[in-house]
Amino acid sequence: MKPPVFAYHRPDTVEQALALLVEHEDAKPLAGGQSLIPAMNFRLAAPAVLVDLGALEGLRGISTQGNELRIGAMTTHSSVERSPEVARVAPLLAEAMPHIAHPQIRNRGTLGGSLAHADPAAELPAVMLALGARLVLQSAQAERRVAARDFFTGLFATALAPGELVTAIEIAALPAHSGVAFEEFARRHGDFALVGVAAVVTLDEGGRCREARIALLSVGEGPVLAERAVAALHDEQPNPEAIRAAAEAAGTDDIDPPADLHASAAYRRQLARVLTRRALSRAVDRARA
Amino acid sequence: MIVEGNYLLPGSPDAIWDLLMDPAVLAKAMPGTRTLERVEPDRYEGVMRVGIGPITAAEFALGIVLSDIQRPQRYAMQIDSKGRFGFTRGLARVELVPEANGTVMRYSADLQIGGKIAALGQRLLESVSKLLLRQGLEALNQELQTRLGGAPS
Repeated sequence: MKPPVFAYHRPDTVEQALALLVEHEDAKPLAGGQSLIPAMNFRLAAPAVLVDLGALEGLRGISTQGNELRIGAMTTHSSVERSPEVARVAPLLAEAMPHIAHPQIRNRGTLGGSLAHADPAAELPAVMLALGARLVLQSAQAERRVAARDFFTGLFATALAPGELVTAIEIAALPAHSGVAFEEFARRHGDFALVGVAAVVTLDEGGRCREARIALLSVGEGPVLAERAVAALHDEQPNPEAIRAAAEAAGTDDIDPPADLHASAAYRRQLARVLTRRALSRAVDRARA
Repeated sequence: MIVEGNYLLPGSPDAIWDLLMDPAVLAKAMPGTRTLERVEPDRYEGVMRVGIGPITAAEFALGIVLSDIQRPQRYAMQIDSKGRFGFTRGLARVELVPEANGTVMRYSADLQIGGKIAALGQRLLESVSKLLLRQGLEALNQELQTRLGGAPS
């Protein structure tokens, strides 16, 4: 299948890219193109202008400053997957990467592209919520930082204003006694997950749960923070009973999952319970290690 | 796909009934409606333009036929829409039940969605339907509050 006719620009600088987005109201930024191009080929998406961000070398790369990891928006999933810095500072992100589609897609797809697309079944939005990541957004006028929990606003909807680009993602290292885990279930590896869970747990000196963040994917209009599940764990010894109670809250109270051909809403709730329990158990074990 | 629920609206069933028959109000309840005309007492025709996220907004021709009209308790709407990306058809039933602080609108619809959009976007149909329904009910509620001016909410 072929896309409808469109104009194509490949700017050399971020400033030029932003100017093009302002100039052409019906322009779409093209990152790795792993969602946009298929949508155009099926003629579901028909932007009049594409602004290819592929030449913006400044948006590529992974660096650490002190305790903080900074990943350029145009960094590919594969680069993130193989980065020793990501594995060290943000092991949750490293653990989630192999679940994203297939290697061919990870070779071209980018972190910023996936986050800006905000597919409710995507892994990265949930991981960023669980990590408390910040997104750096730039327009022709200004740069601003938005917390992941404020960035995802609905079904394929984000806090990005027209003419604004995601330029980087910033992730702070977790405090001591923290553990993380990522779990998802798909019928075949690489399919859109029926449900996924990203969990972060930080214990205090007494081994009680000081802080936790649990984010679920594929259970709503966007990634969902399981706040009641976290409340069930807070200040508790994270023993199997407490984890079970939190997992029950995640599947029963925190989500209102949709049904489709692949899974009923009740099945998604059950998957959310099981996967939350598994993710929390592993995260707690790692936090104690 | 079956969609059903309750929604509390301001005003008496009589007042709400008249407004629900007004194409300008009905259009508010269906996000993306560009034009809607009452071509016969029980028939409406119009054009919707709907797009979600990466999908470029597409036009749909919309037809609504009312039946089982029992003012001001209940009515049914046969809804048909058709466009480049596919079609929707189905029967929606609306019931108005008076309450102390307004009127509860009970709705249930059995919708069939077909064509390209259903084939490619199957996993998203329910989320999109819920989103459009919620936006529609909120817009309808706001419109009724404005029109009924100071009615209990």
